[in-house]
Amino acid sequence: MRLRSVIRWEFLRTIRSKQFVIISVLIPVIVAIAIFAATSADKDAQQSLREPPPPSVVALILAMILFMGAFLSGVMTLYSVVKEKQGRVVELVLSSISAQEMMAGKVIGLGIAGLIQVAVWVAAAYFVASRFAPISLAALGPVHWITYPLYFILGFMLIASIYAATGAVMKDVQSGGASGLVGLIPYVPIMFMALIIENPNHVLVRIAGFIPPFTPSVMLFRVGVGAAATWEIALSLVSLTVGVLLTMRFAARIFEIGLLMYGKAPSVRELWKWGRMRHTR
Amino acid sequence: MDRTALRVQEIVKDFDGLRAVDGISLEASRGEILGFLGPNGAGKTTSIRIILGIFEPDEGEVSIRLGGLTGRLLKERTGYLPEERGLYSDATVLDALVYFAELKGLRRADARQRVLRWLGRFDLVPWAHKKVEKLSKGMQQKVQFIAAVAHEPDLLVLDEPFSGLDPLHQDLLKDVIRELRDAGAAILLSAHQMNQVEELCDRVFLIHRGRQVFYGTLDEIKSQNGEHVVRLRFEGSAESLAALPGVESLAIRGDRASLRLGRGASPDAFVRSLPAALTVRELSVTRPPLHDIFVRAIEKENHEAA
Repeated sequence: MRLRSVIRWEFLRTIRSKQFVIISVLIPVIVAIAIFAATSADKDAQQSLREPPPPSVVALILAMILFMGAFLSGVMTLYSVVKEKQGRVVELVLSSISAQEMMAGKVIGLGIAGLIQVAVWVAAAYFVASRFAPISLAALGPVHWITYPLYFILGFMLIASIYAATGAVMKDVQSGGASGLVGLIPYVPIMFMALIIENPNHVLVRIAGFIPPFTPSVMLFRVGVGAAATWEIALSLVSLTVGVLLTMRFAARIFEIGLLMYGKAPSVRELWKWGRMRHTR
Repeated sequence: MDRTALRVQEIVKDFDGLRAVDGISLEASRGEILGFLGPNGAGKTTSIRIILGIFEPDEGEVSIRLGGLTGRLLKERTGYLPEERGLYSDATVLDALVYFAELKGLRRADARQRVLRWLGRFDLVPWAHKKVEKLSKGMQQKVQFIAAVAHEPDLLVLDEPFSGLDPLHQDLLKDVIRELRDAGAAILLSAHQMNQVEELCDRVFLIHRGRQVFYGTLDEIKSQNGEHVVRLRFEGSAESLAALPGVESLAIRGDRASLRLGRGASPDAFVRSLPAALTVRELSVTRPPLHDIFVRAIEKENHEAA
């Protein structure tokens, strides 16, 4: 009941915020319309590719959009926590609900907003792409329809809980500190994206697919190029789920302690201590 | 009937090896305002956060008995005005207040109705749909107060409720606080203005360095303190007053004198021994104000510690 109120509040606040309206809705819609207008003037440019692109290209673009969506929603979570901390709202909120409820409400509320954002992006991308090539989402097999939402949702929960904890120990949005770097770990595979796509079955890539912070991006690409075996997908989802649960528990502790601390940012060692604490403050 | 609403037993809290709260115990009853006093950094805020379940104590226990239920804590039945004010500044006044009432378990429609009633009480209805950040500091203060009381809590903790308010609104707030008390709430009031505390509180708890300095009714504290303050206006010479029984200090300014009778001195004996040569125009014998007791108690503690 209260958790529902928190989710509703966080969701509505997010989709009404300027950032969300501009980044998630206005820019993609304007870009789509602009491209549409530019190409409709030039008949030759239309559907310059007569052949539909290979399914893996569609899948990889979708993977990229999903991962960007998870990333941006994660960043929104961080901003939302830092803002509430700076605005000193936290104390009042915590006199009504637990830090765990607060974090869960934020992650879920912003996650739903993130789903809407991704849906808008996918629709805009589909609209634009269909001007150039006869693409069809039917090119995606059931494996994509089943695994992509799961990788997106679990990936978002992983990133968002790391960011919620990061936001809780930050003094303001400017000061990142060592803890901010932790939030970048899930993006490491993106730097090696080309390598992963070219060598989706390299032993290091396959192993990385089972390591939770890397799982969402690596597996989105591997599934995208059709390289992942069913058992690999199943195992990666299990390890990702376990990773998400552990991360959320650890992050919730740090979140709870960090929220009401306004002093200097804690060291990595202190964070490790907090995360493993049984009793919280 | 047992009217105890809050029982705090021997709570202890350490932060990085420093003891912020060192075994304090207190109780608060329904229909009572308990003053929770202490100098800055005495452990007040930490104690309050433990009482409200924001922090977990390292040792000791907080139990709350409200509405026939006894429990570790019922966050829905508590209300809190924190010293560090904070509301969602980019939300509208009404939205923010309804949300906070919802977090206390009220249904949206019910929350809305109650919040609107409170906004009316504080002349804030025209501001209901304005963003919180557009409001003046005093108005934000009132909004913050509404966030603490809209759900009619059984235990209300007010930390510096009068700071930032003009005298008019201070009086309004005092009336409201008394009403809430009469309606049966147990109220913990922390304030630095001792005259406000004296006006409102039935009992006070003074904390310093995480420990109890005194705890009891205002009368008890004042009689424990045992001193009296005499103020008089006179004609003639008042120098001889210094030699009268029980007088510890004397200050004369023009036709006014103020003097302090020491612990155990009898005001009666003092008045009877006033010299015939002195013509008294005005005379008052009172217990010293809480302000003085507070300052002396803290100074004494600091002295003993040093």
